[in-house]
Amino acid sequence: MISVEGLEKRKGGKQILRNVSFRVEAGSVLGIMGASGSGKTTLLRCLNGLEQIDTGWLQCASVTLDSGLPTKSYRRRANELRRQVGTVFQHLYLFPHLSVLGNIIEAPVHVLKRMRAEVETEAHELLRLVGLADAASRYPESLSGGEQQRVAIARALAMHPKILLFDEPTSALDPKRSTDLRSLLRSFVTRGHTLVVVSHAIGFLQGLSDNLLYMEGGEVVEQGPTAQILQSPRDPRTLDFIMHDSAGASA
Amino acid sequence: MYAQQPLGWGADPSGGAPYVFPDPANPDRYIGYEKEMVDALAAAMGRRPEFVPSDWETLVSALERGSFDVIVNGLEPTADRARQILFSKPYYIFQLQLTVRTGDENIHSLADCTNHVVGTLGNTAASRILQRDGIPYRGYLDPVAAYRDLELKRIDAVLMDVPAEAFYARDNPHLKRAGQPFERGLYVIGLRKGDEQLKAQVDAAIDKILADGTLEGILKRWKLWNEAQVELQARARAGQSGDELAYNLTSITFNWREALIRLARAALVTVGIAFGSMLIAMLLGLPLALGQSKGARWLQSLCTLYVEFFRGTPVLVQLLFLYFGLPTIGLAMPGWLTALVGLGLNYAAYESQVYRAALEAIPRGQWEAAYSLGMTPVLAFRRIILPQAFRVALPPMTNDFVSLFKDTSVAYAISVWELATAYRELANASGAFLLLGVAVSAFYLAMSLPMAHLARRLERRLTKGRTLGVEAEA
Repeated sequence: MISVEGLEKRKGGKQILRNVSFRVEAGSVLGIMGASGSGKTTLLRCLNGLEQIDTGWLQCASVTLDSGLPTKSYRRRANELRRQVGTVFQHLYLFPHLSVLGNIIEAPVHVLKRMRAEVETEAHELLRLVGLADAASRYPESLSGGEQQRVAIARALAMHPKILLFDEPTSALDPKRSTDLRSLLRSFVTRGHTLVVVSHAIGFLQGLSDNLLYMEGGEVVEQGPTAQILQSPRDPRTLDFIMHDSAGASA
Repeated sequence: MYAQQPLGWGADPSGGAPYVFPDPANPDRYIGYEKEMVDALAAAMGRRPEFVPSDWETLVSALERGSFDVIVNGLEPTADRARQILFSKPYYIFQLQLTVRTGDENIHSLADCTNHVVGTLGNTAASRILQRDGIPYRGYLDPVAAYRDLELKRIDAVLMDVPAEAFYARDNPHLKRAGQPFERGLYVIGLRKGDEQLKAQVDAAIDKILADGTLEGILKRWKLWNEAQVELQARARAGQSGDELAYNLTSITFNWREALIRLARAALVTVGIAFGSMLIAMLLGLPLALGQSKGARWLQSLCTLYVEFFRGTPVLVQLLFLYFGLPTIGLAMPGWLTALVGLGLNYAAYESQVYRAALEAIPRGQWEAAYSLGMTPVLAFRRIILPQAFRVALPPMTNDFVSLFKDTSVAYAISVWELATAYRELANASGAFLLLGVAVSAFYLAMSLPMAHLARRLERRLTKGRTLGVEAEA
């Protein structure tokens, strides 16, 4: 479902990503972990085409983005790609001038040109799915952080994306809500979505990801099945990150 | 030389030929038949003439304030002026002349003008006649502008005192006289109430220069001597006072009912110009803002040039340029349209900066969230960014509208009949500066206060609704 090969990204003369390659099978969850500044958020932004890559290529669903493409056609393809890839940003970026329902139906109605009534019915179902059945007519500013996040998820799902990208989904959540979110995301896999979740919270990724990828300094240090990475990492840097995290968690 | 007491005299030298005007050969010097006449009068009185250049419309109030001792500027002894100032004996009998474009075959006399706009100087016997006869007219600040607008077809005829007509229009091949000079009126010298002693001196001096032929010589040099003047001279030589001379033309009084109707019309024009130019500013501001922040480099420079030009030069100068400058390349707009377009172009520069600030106030993440849902840049702008930016821009836009509303008063410079022009002309004609001032201010406030209130309310609502963006960014 996702293939990345030899991806490199520079910004302002600085190398942000270096020779990144990985694959994600359809219907699986990849967790990308790493300290802040490791390049994991930039990698996510490359995956939905917001950042143009400098070297290598990537494929998400049916769209391939190659670093050799001229900027104009790269952008056109990136737009095509984003119709199949939903993104939930760390800061969510709900549309404050639209109601919760308006946020969800905006893209299906105006991008996909679907019938409003049909999209609204579906939006109400999505709100039930994320546990916000009564929030349709409220405005983002009146919602809690956790509620806003679930609206952002429903908004992404309304486009029927094959792939869902999450950037630091637990950053504003308490442990109880993190657990709830994890089961919600897990349920998306059974609905046929492929997920990539960027997080520095190993505990959250542990029960969610099928595979884990550890990044440091813009490079993939290690990747493999979740259990193997967490229990017997091969690279000392991975071990160090895991040890540090569990020490922090227990403190 | 013995010490002479100066005799301060006020007149409007701008477009003031042949009365008093800057010498084209030496602009620091003033010439004109009245200048020469005052020199003769002052010599007869044993005083040194001292010219105080002033503004025709405010001559009476300047005299009352003591800016000078006498008004010598082709002043007509009207009944309402008589309540404010003293008049000397008449020194000249003037007539009126109607002028039209050379090719005009429809207008032969004032009677043909009921459906045409006639230009004249504001607050003159001519303007009172037009008002009395119910003929639509525009008051100008000087004859030059009136005759130019006649040539440019902004108006259809000009009614002017013969001396000015003779100097400015008679030799112009594009203009011709419609009918003969008609009506008769008097020119007198204006003095402050209570200056009876000075009046006696001035009257004696007028008698002297009328009787001894000094004035005749001056008027002949300026080609202003005619039959009517002979009558005046004969009276002076016979030792008769000219006081009982009172022609129709100079006894027309100020009509309050008419004035209030004209004031109401001025209010409508002001509102029309304000709304019209705000619409232009709002529509033109958006492409300017987009061009400046998102356009190609040449487009950015072009938009920046536009903004800096219109913000960096006075709106008054821009209006004068549009009104007097553009006709030379064949684009002559009527005054109200010039004001509407000029203010619109000017405020577009300000609105573009309001929009730009508003667009920049929307977090980059809003664009990216829209892109991530498959939106194209155009769709993201229209559906996501613009509605949010509009909310941010609304309070400053409302404030700008209040400013624009007040700025419509610069249209006075191009003789548009809006509130400021109306105030100036009606107050000068009636002397009711205080009363009309309160009325005009009340009208401006009735518009601007509610708008300012609305701006504050919008601002409060906006800061309330904005907390989300701030939280999400933190």
